[in-house]
Formats: sequence, C-alpha cells, structure tokens
Amino acid sequence: MSGERSTARQALSNAGRQLPAGRSLGLAVGALFWCWLVVRWVAIWLGSKEPFFPATFFEGLATGFRNDGLVMQQTGGALAPVLDFVAGVWFLFSDLAGFVAFGVEYLPELAEGAWLTVVLTVTGILFGLVIAVPLSVARVYGGPVTRGLSLGYIELLRGTPLLAQLFVLYFGLNLSQYFRGFTFGVLPSAAVWVAIVGFTVNSAAYQAEYIRAALESVESGQLTAARAIGLSRTEGIRHVVLPQGLRYAIPGWTNELIYLIKYSSLAAFITVVELFESGRIIASDTFAYLNIYGMLALFYLALVLSATLFMGWVENRVAIPGLGVRDGR
Amino acid sequence: MSERTDGRGDVSEPSSTAEDGRSAGDPLLRVENLQKSYGDETVLRGIDFDLDRRDVEVIIGPSGSGKSTMLRCVNRLTEFQGGTISLDGESVMAMNENELRRRVGMVFQDINLFAHLTALENVTLGLRKVLDMSKGDAEDKAMSQLERVGLAPQAASYPAELSGGQKQRVGIARALAMDPELLLFDEPTSALDPELVGEVLEVMRDLADGGMTMLVVTHEMGFARRAASSLMFLDEGKIVERGPPEQLFDSPERDRTREFLARLTTISEEA
Amino acid sequence: MVLSSASPLVFDPIAAQALPLEWLPPDWQFVVRNWDYLAGGLGVTIVLTATSILLGFLAGFPMGAIEVYGSGPLKRLVSTVGVVLRAIPIVVILVFMFFVAPIPFPSGEFGMWLPGIGSFDIGLSAFAAATVGLGLRSAAYQAQIFRGALQSVSGGQMEAARSVGMSKLQAIRHVIMPQALRRSIPGFQNEFTIVLKDTSVAFAIGLAELLKRSYDLFVESTTAVLEVILFISILYFIMTFVTNRTLDYLGEYYAIPGGEG
Ligand SMILES: Nc1ncnc2c1ncn2[C@@H]1O[C@H](COP(=O)(O)OP(=O)(O)OP(=O)(O)O)[C@@H](O)[C@H]1O
Ligand SMILES: [Mg+2]
Repeated sequence: MSGERSTARQALSNAGRQLPAGRSLGLAVGALFWCWLVVRWVAIWLGSKEPFFPATFFEGLATGFRNDGLVMQQTGGALAPVLDFVAGVWFLFSDLAGFVAFGVEYLPELAEGAWLTVVLTVTGILFGLVIAVPLSVARVYGGPVTRGLSLGYIELLRGTPLLAQLFVLYFGLNLSQYFRGFTFGVLPSAAVWVAIVGFTVNSAAYQAEYIRAALESVESGQLTAARAIGLSRTEGIRHVVLPQGLRYAIPGWTNELIYLIKYSSLAAFITVVELFESGRIIASDTFAYLNIYGMLALFYLALVLSATLFMGWVENRVAIPGLGVRDGR
Repeated sequence: MSERTDGRGDVSEPSSTAEDGRSAGDPLLRVENLQKSYGDETVLRGIDFDLDRRDVEVIIGPSGSGKSTMLRCVNRLTEFQGGTISLDGESVMAMNENELRRRVGMVFQDINLFAHLTALENVTLGLRKVLDMSKGDAEDKAMSQLERVGLAPQAASYPAELSGGQKQRVGIARALAMDPELLLFDEPTSALDPELVGEVLEVMRDLADGGMTMLVVTHEMGFARRAASSLMFLDEGKIVERGPPEQLFDSPERDRTREFLARLTTISEEA
Repeated sequence: MVLSSASPLVFDPIAAQALPLEWLPPDWQFVVRNWDYLAGGLGVTIVLTATSILLGFLAGFPMGAIEVYGSGPLKRLVSTVGVVLRAIPIVVILVFMFFVAPIPFPSGEFGMWLPGIGSFDIGLSAFAAATVGLGLRSAAYQAQIFRGALQSVSGGQMEAARSVGMSKLQAIRHVIMPQALRRSIPGFQNEFTIVLKDTSVAFAIGLAELLKRSYDLFVESTTAVLEVILFISILYFIMTFVTNRTLDYLGEYYAIPGGEG
C-alpha cells in the first residue's frame, strides 16, 4: 500500500530471470547496448549522426534473401513443397534483415532521443528526491499545519494525470518563457526545462509517499532509543530513522525510476524530442510504423530492464544484515 | 481402553500384531517398509508398523527425525518413494486422493483454519463441497461437532477472533466432521501458549476414549501416558523403539530412547 | 482523425441565462459555458476507465493464476508478455494499437448517456484501440497483483483444504481465491486510479476524452488556458478521490473480522 506504483517492482525485479534468453545472455546484451549508446552519444556530441554500420549491407541482405526466396518459390518439380518452406524461412530472414537495416539507419536519431529520456528521468528523480525528503518528514513528524500542507501537495499531484500537470506548466503557466536563455547543447529547448520541472514536482509527490511508508516502517523504538542517548528529535530522525528508512524505500525508487523512464514519453506532448517523439517523427516521415514502434519497444525494454538490474545491485550494495529490505514487507 | 499392540519393540518383525490373534481382518493402517527422500536427503528409511482400530499411537522423536513426513505420507500430502501404506487392507496409492483424505483427517501444528470463514463455515466447507451435503444438514452436523469440542458459542466467530486453543479445537472439529476413520495430529499443541494446551488435550483425550483411531505426533508425555495404546520413538527416519507407554517410560530397551525421554521430561518439567 | 462530434464553444443561451455568471471572471465564465463539451469528455474518460479495467481484469486474473499455478511454455509466455507490457510506455502501446495493430477496429461513433453528464458521442476506432491498449497493459499489472495475492495465502491453507478431501481446483476456488481477492483490493485500488489517470494519454490518438476536449477548448481561447486545465485537473482529482474512497469502503466491507486484511 506504500505507493501506487508498487506492483512494477515485483513484476520487473526478476525480469532478468523471466525472460527466456536467460540471465547471462541478457547481461551481455545489456552491456553491449550501453556501450553502443554511450559511444553513440559521444559521436553525436562530436557532430556525427552517421550510422556506425552501413545500412546498405543489411538492405542488400534483405533484397538478396527476398530474391532467393522468390526464385525458390517459382521452382517446380518434386522438391517444390520443401522449397516453398525454405522460401518462407528466407522471407522471414529478409524481413529481419530489413528490420535491422531500418534500425541501423535510424538508431542515431533514436539514441539522441534516448539521451533526453535519460536526462529527464535522472534529473526528475534526483530533484524530486530533494523535495520528497522534507515533504515526507513533514508528513510523518510535522505538526498539524506542515502535515496538512504536505498531505495536500502529495494527494493533489498523485490524484491528477501527469499529462495534465505538464499542460498546466507548459500551456497554462507558460513556464518556458522563463527558460529561454538557458538552452544549450545538452538541453536543446526551453520545453525540456519545463518537462524537468514537471517530472520533479510529480516525482516528489510519489517519492514522498514511498519514503513516508518507509519511515513509518522503522520501529518507533528506534527514535525513542535515539532520544535516550541524548540526540535531539531532529538528530534522531537524521541519524537513526532516515538511514534505515531510506533503505526500506529502495524498492519504491525502483518503481519510480521505471515509472519516470516510461512516463518521460509524455514530454513529447509539450514538444520535447525525447525517445518516443524522435520515433514518432521518423514514423511520420517513413510510415514504417511497425518497424519504428518495434524499435521503440525494444529501446524502452532495454532501459527499463537496465534500471531494474541497476537498482537490484544498489539494493544489495547498501543492504545491512538483518534489516529486511527484500523480505518481510 | 482397547487392547494394545504387542510391545516388544522389535523393528525387524513388524507383523507381530497378527500373532495376537486379536484382529481377524486387516489392521486399519498398515505401514510397510516406508521410504521417503527429498532429493538426495533420505528422510524415512524403512518404517513398519500396524495400527488397529480404536488404537492411539503417539509418535515422539527429535526435530527433523521425519515425524511430520511420515504423517503426511499417510494421507498423501507428500509422495513417498518406497514401501506401502494400506488403509483397511487397501493400498493408499490405489485410492483416489480426495477419497483417502476424506477418510483420514488431519490436524495441523499451525492449525490452518480458513481465514476467510467463520468457525462454523470452516467445518461446513468440506461437508458441502466434498460430501455435497445441503446447507442445513451441513450446519447441523457442524454444530454438533463444535459442541463436541466445546465451541458452539463461538460458531459465528472468525479465526482471528479466536484464541489459539479455540482455533485448534475448531481444527479438530473440522477434521471430525468428515467422519474420518483415522485422525492424524501433527504436534497439535506445540504452537499454543502453555495455558491453552490443556483444553486441546482434553478434547483429544475424549476422542481417544470414544474409540477414535489416532496417530499423534506430540511431546505431551502426560497425554501419551494417559491415552496412548502405544508409543513410537522415531529417530533419523527409523523406528528406534515401540511399545506400551509405561514400558518405554519405565524400562526402555535402547539408551537413545532413555536419553531422549529423560531430556523431554526435564524440559516439560521446566516449562 | 477528427473524432469529436460536439463542437467546442457552442454558446447555449438558455444554460447561460439559467446561471448567473457575471460575478465570475470572464475566463471562468468560458469554462462554465463549455461545461457540456467537457462533460462529454468526462463521460468518455469514465467509460474508457471502466472498459479498460474490465478487460484488464478478465485477462489479468487468469494470467496471474497461470503465473502461480501454471507451468511450461504457457507460463513462460504469460510472464514474458507481462514483462514487455509493463516495460513499454502507455503512449507507445496506444499509438501502436491505433496505427499498427492488425485488429480491424470499426470506425464511426456511438452515443452514450450517463446520469449527471448527459449524452455524448464516442469515436469507435480510437476508443476501441484505447480500451485494448489500456486494458492489456492493465492486465499485465493486475496479473502481478493477483499473483502476489495468491502467493500470500499460506501453503497451509491449501494443505488444510486438501486434507478434508477437496480437489486442488476446489481448494483454489473455495479457499485460496476468496482470500486472495480480498488481499488484492489495495493493489487493485492503485491500478484503478492509474488507469483512470492514464486514460488522458489517449489524447495521443485523438480520442475526445477529458484532456483532449480541454485541449480543444484552450487552443480556441488562449486566455483561458490555465482555467480550463485547472478545472479538468480538479475533475480528475475528484474522480480519483471518489474511486479511492469507494474502494476503501469496499475493502472494509469485505474485510475478514479481526484479520489483517
Ligand atoms: N518440503 C521439504 N523439502 C525438503 N526437505 C524437507 C521438506 N520437508 C521436510 N524436509 C526434511 O525432512 C526431514 C524431516 O522433516 P520432518 O518435518 O518430517 O521432521 P519432524 O520430525 O516433523 O521435525 P519437527 O519436530 O521439527 O517438526 C528434515 O530434515 C527436513 O529438513
Ligand atoms: Mg514436524
């Protein structure tokens, strides 16, 4: 009940195992993906959007398979049924090669979009955390006024759609006018800033809920014990409750990270060219909807699974024996 | 109390009961060379014994010796690899599982009342779904079972509203309602607070006196002395010694039995 | 892709006279005057939420059961599909359903009527695509909720049921399910509000739900942008609030006395 995005974690935490490919193969593919992505980003930053591999090679492959398949289909005689079957396989290869050729050609643009997706996600979660910690402490330990304010903020933002919130900021408050001067390489438009504000404000509310639940799961005796050795209330919260509570909140952060990766796609509707929007632009140019949405799906899958693995690693790193982060909750 | 099985404690001669000439037909339960392992770990290494109708067998033994496993083989909650278990002359493996479990009731250490049903509904569920009884008949029968364990007033309570001892008595009523020929008890009182143990044992004693055939894993030696027709000491998956309770208590043949019983009595006296 | 039938900005003199609006700032008057148009969007949002949740339940419940009790290729298939559906943004799923999915969605519109909202039209093809997209995604999440709930019912309950002679199916049906369904209410509550909020993403495929209609309005009257969006945000908030309270009540109503829930 800690937060409403909580099912995502359980679902994805063993995704590595669930996927048929198996864990080590998954890790290898993931490592390859990130190497490529980082190199690609550097290349784009240096001004090159040329594909690393020639798309023409795969296009040639696709046409080759296709032609062979056509020839096989037309061959008659006793072997015709067998040849027909092989031709079918050849057409499949042709489609696959076509998909790869398409991918190779447009991957640089998608990588550029993915950069903004990552930027939006990471900044959103980090800035959101900065707001969320005081919000949750106010909600758990605050007086009636601070508690009420914090509750109001959290409930309001969790009770309305993220897209509506982005619209309020972008169209309603026309926030981008304040960011006109702050656009440069990494942050190509004022709209990106608006999106960052939106994700920060939204994420803060959700993170505050996770942290609240985590703080409440720290036994009350812990704070009493802290007071008993002479720490002030604030010191007790700071040095005893938060270090334990924030560990309990890790599963919540995994959800939050996954949520932001996925929902950063909504920035497309306030003109930010992140991963989804870059795909949509390609789709409207090429009409290759199936290919492009297939690519997008794979991209998001890779990002989300990476985030899950990463958070699992973090969880293990900060685990304290006997402090049940994984189980018992 | 009914006659007791031959108590020579001779493991190699399991069919000793037949020599009594007491039971003309088959014993109610016959276990022969029962073997069971979980993966590489062998848990039961050839168990042989007979249990006649109206007899009460109490099983004791250290933790991990295979007591629960043996009970669960009898009603096939777990599968076994070797030997045979027969109920009334028929191999349990040849029976329909559900039919077998209807005839052999079980009472658990962790009770396992159905958390979403009242005490009464806990008892009626099996009657209605397994025996296809009408609602009214099932409730009448369930009520009489609850009365038998002294819980008629709590019929409408949910498990979370009952004390541990009351819960376990509902558990017994639930098993009794199916009119089982044999009742299995797996440490029915060891999860209970000491002051609640008595009420459950009392119900079990009444059942024994009433002629119910029971296979009971328990370390309540008072109950064993008073109600058991035979006591079995199990260790490392084997029957070390078996015989009338007085014999095992007063003059056990094996040192291991003596040691174990001595430790058991000191512990229960401390508690 | 024009799916909204009622045109925005229709000035209804009767309604306007009935409401004394002068005391309101002009931009809020604009909002109130266009209530009918927005109410239609509210209706679409509510209907879409209901159909998506329903589809999600019908598909998700068996999926969850398969993940717990199933085995082999079927189980692997279900869990892989689940992982993929949960990893892809809802906007990608919706756009895919609308533009690519090989399902021939019917075109045209159908009229609906809801108490308090009146009658409104729903564009069939976008609505169907949105229902399938939101519904399948929700199924993947609901499957996880049910899976967790089924697994949280202790193994002892199954054994106890089996030991009075019930078959495995009977035990699942009469003992495990009733407890699991109760335990999934909190998760279901979250899922309900997520779907409700995510209906706004159907904006991307032009479905005239609440957010799309507000967009239509404030594109026309650019001074009232903030008022329009705040107004519909309040509507969303009220809907999530009411949903949560209703499901809270349901949870309490069906709670097992004395149980942990
Ligand atoms: N489901 C299982 N899978 C694997 N091993 C098991 C399983 N159940 C029991 N065992 C093993 O079988 C052995 C006997 O277990 P069993 O539960 O029968 O012992 P017990 O005599 O009832 O002990 P206790 O007094 O602690 O209840 C133990 O070593 C245990 O680890
Ligand atoms: Mg045991």
